[in-house]
Amino acid sequence: MNHDSILRPRLVDSEKSIADVSNDICRPIENKASNLWKIGFTLSVIFLGLLGLTLTYTTLNGIGTWGLNKTVQWGWDITNFVFWVGIGHAGTLISAILLLFRQKWRMSINRSAEAMTIFAVMCAAIFPLFHMGRIWVGAYWVLPLPNAFGSLWVNFNSPLLWDVFAITTYFSVSLLFWYLGLIPDIATIRDRATTKGRKFWYNFFSMGWTGSTRTWNRYEVVSLILAGISTPLVLSVHTIVSMDFATSVVPGWHTTIFPPYFVAGAIFSGFGMVLTLLIIARKVMNYEDYITIGHLEAMSKVIMLTGTLVGLAYITEFFIAAYSGVEYEQYAFINRATGPYWWAYWSMMTCNLIAPQVFWFKWARTTPWFIFMLSIVVNIGMWFERFVIIVTSLHREYLPSGWVMYSPTWVEIGIFLGTFGLFFTFFFLFSKFLPMINMSEVKTILKNRE
Amino acid sequence: MAHGHKIEIKEENFIFTPKAKKFTFMLLGLGLLLTIVGFFTMPKENHHAHDSHHAATEVEHHENAAHAATKHHVDPWGENQVNNPAPPPQVEDPASHKPWYSRVYATLLVNSYFFLIISITALFFVGLQYIANAGWSASIKRVPEAMASFLPIAAIVMIIVLIMGKDYLYHWAHYEHEHLKPGDAGYDKILSSKSWFLNSKMFIGGIVLIPLIWFLFKKKLQSLSVREDKVGGVEPFKLSIKWSAGFTFIFAFSFSILSWLVIMSVDAHWYSTIFSIYNFATGFVSTLAIIVLTVLFLKSQGYLNLVTDEHIHDLGKFMFAFSVFWTYIWLSQYLLIWYAQIPEEVMYYQNRFEAKWSPFFFINIVLNFIVPFLFLMTRDAKRNPKILVLVGTIILLGHWNDVFLMVMPGSIGSWAGIGLFEIGTTMVFAGGFIYMLLSSLSKQSLVPVNHPYIEESAHHDVGI
Repeated sequence: MNHDSILRPRLVDSEKSIADVSNDICRPIENKASNLWKIGFTLSVIFLGLLGLTLTYTTLNGIGTWGLNKTVQWGWDITNFVFWVGIGHAGTLISAILLLFRQKWRMSINRSAEAMTIFAVMCAAIFPLFHMGRIWVGAYWVLPLPNAFGSLWVNFNSPLLWDVFAITTYFSVSLLFWYLGLIPDIATIRDRATTKGRKFWYNFFSMGWTGSTRTWNRYEVVSLILAGISTPLVLSVHTIVSMDFATSVVPGWHTTIFPPYFVAGAIFSGFGMVLTLLIIARKVMNYEDYITIGHLEAMSKVIMLTGTLVGLAYITEFFIAAYSGVEYEQYAFINRATGPYWWAYWSMMTCNLIAPQVFWFKWARTTPWFIFMLSIVVNIGMWFERFVIIVTSLHREYLPSGWVMYSPTWVEIGIFLGTFGLFFTFFFLFSKFLPMINMSEVKTILKNRE
Repeated sequence: MAHGHKIEIKEENFIFTPKAKKFTFMLLGLGLLLTIVGFFTMPKENHHAHDSHHAATEVEHHENAAHAATKHHVDPWGENQVNNPAPPPQVEDPASHKPWYSRVYATLLVNSYFFLIISITALFFVGLQYIANAGWSASIKRVPEAMASFLPIAAIVMIIVLIMGKDYLYHWAHYEHEHLKPGDAGYDKILSSKSWFLNSKMFIGGIVLIPLIWFLFKKKLQSLSVREDKVGGVEPFKLSIKWSAGFTFIFAFSFSILSWLVIMSVDAHWYSTIFSIYNFATGFVSTLAIIVLTVLFLKSQGYLNLVTDEHIHDLGKFMFAFSVFWTYIWLSQYLLIWYAQIPEEVMYYQNRFEAKWSPFFFINIVLNFIVPFLFLMTRDAKRNPKILVLVGTIILLGHWNDVFLMVMPGSIGSWAGIGLFEIGTTMVFAGGFIYMLLSSLSKQSLVPVNHPYIEESAHHDVGI
């Protein structure tokens, strides 16, 4: 059996008992919704409405309503797609990779990170789907389905198609993993239920969980297998997203470091978003004993590590462009830093490489409001990273006649803000109806459980 | 259940027995003998090189064609590529203007670099355990620490070999002496444009300074480790975390620069942004293999009593995981270059597909991916010392081959081969490495008794 050193900080503060954990975590579900929750949820639904509006407008009028042009054919749409897919990485990372590395601090944050993953991937999927224009025939264009057009098949050589497979697989496995982890907790809520409705629904979704040794044993084995499957999956998703760019011959896109660099960036942005959400949640929902300063510090360290890795990739790319002797490559990078989009480049550098270095100081890693500010900086920085890669690489063609600028229209901005509505609507529903912290796992790490 | 049985934690002093010493001296002696025999029996005539001399004009012709193909990506529709396919780009055999003893330098570079990256990634492994706050590895920590003791020797050999042999190894170094200006015969625009980085001052500065910085970090971490053994307390441990964090940061950047200077510049016309990560993966997985082999050796000699099947299992997982990681990085580089088909980049692999190199190319994938992937897949395999020794040895051979394949085609071309000289020098390096490893293991207790996590490590259990 494992032995914990006294140097290890406690993972749950203030001497909680097993009953305390159930009471604390079930409280938001069993009580009436707070006013704060109602306000937040209403705001999210308003933004969700904006999403519906702008997407309908796009579908009715076509992609011409966006700011794309003959040179910059990918703009905010793909930037936002990569932004959301990246955020969707932390969930599986925390659940799967940290599970394989036996990092117990993941236990009080994995549930909400996994939920975030699923909602973020849903937001991401909107962009490429609607970019197709005629979304109603999308199924033929996206999936290799037998079709009425004879031999009209999807292009199997295209990384865009690999993306379809990678992301749908990732989404399914993440959903399965999340739901599987929820089952014992749903059963706990079922057993505590005082109203008929709650008893019925939580009974339905707990799938007859009994809590016998045999079910627990199977549950643990399946968790490990799913963790083993999702670890290569989480890498493959962003690897293939990076290949959407890197298999091309566009200067600034075609670079071999893209796969691991995108994965590092995805972990970075995912942890940024997890921190943003959890620092609010722990305060509003009184989970400070479960999501402790120790958790925030560990996540800050991950931010610092991955931010530096991403920075190393930026510097490597810049160096190799200078070294390559290829003038197009060199121009692409000089243009990023000093061209018309210089502000995007330097926002990216400042937010992603320089800002996380403050986490070398212990004060910065252990002060929640400061970490919160920095997590916002990270989110902004990672959005700019994708904007820099996509727009600044495209806006200069080989021929000066193809040199243009790109700016988004209100429709694109609306869709982007709308995806936040979608994301937060789901997140608020999740925080109201499902336990945000994995009760059954947290109970195993209490110090005084005997 | 929680704090089951008590495990006694006591010092273990490894004795570098005369028998083990004799073994390393035999390895060194035999290696030296083979090296000398290999040196004298090495081919001094090269028919390929002469052939390629004859073909020199043709090569130039191909190069022009390759340059024409370079312009293809100016044409976004690639029409020319379809109607008028360019001949596959070809690299001039570097052997054609190099003496036979270039092979001596190239072989020594392969070995010194291989053992250098092993020593430094071993130190990185130690640092990684500190910054990740890992408990399980405390009982095997002395092994990677001792592996880092070969760092100065590998670095000094590499520095000497590179200073003496750079003109024989690197196209750019040879080119630097010619001081060509645009318009001169033999002027190479690409090489000239790289002279700000690929020049003797930068090169020598880099290969001396970077290993020196690493050495200082190694000294510091080692002194903290000794202090922990002698004085105890958590202070050395806390300081080790700080120094490890600093080291990891500097290591990431300096390792990249060293891999560009020493290895990527062998193919001076070529570039790849993932190259430094690829080199790191090669070094790190080799380090993991040596850790496994050393731990199993020490266990078989009755040492490391705290290390159980659980630790061995975790080390096996590490070896499996980083073999897959290496493959991921390998694939990222290969797939993207293959897919984009840009002549400057494809040349690197084009060259390695030619008859002389293709066996090395394919063996690389078999030894470094297929074997570890299939053999270490199951849980039982990762707990079976026989399989671990087999796979660990194969991984080491595979990554030696990997470094060989990175260095040889671009440096000495058809002069290269695997003969007595290569086997002999590798044995000398291995012998030296084993000697340093065992002698530094004998200097400190094998069990870091004052390590705050040693108790955790002693009770380590992988769970399922």
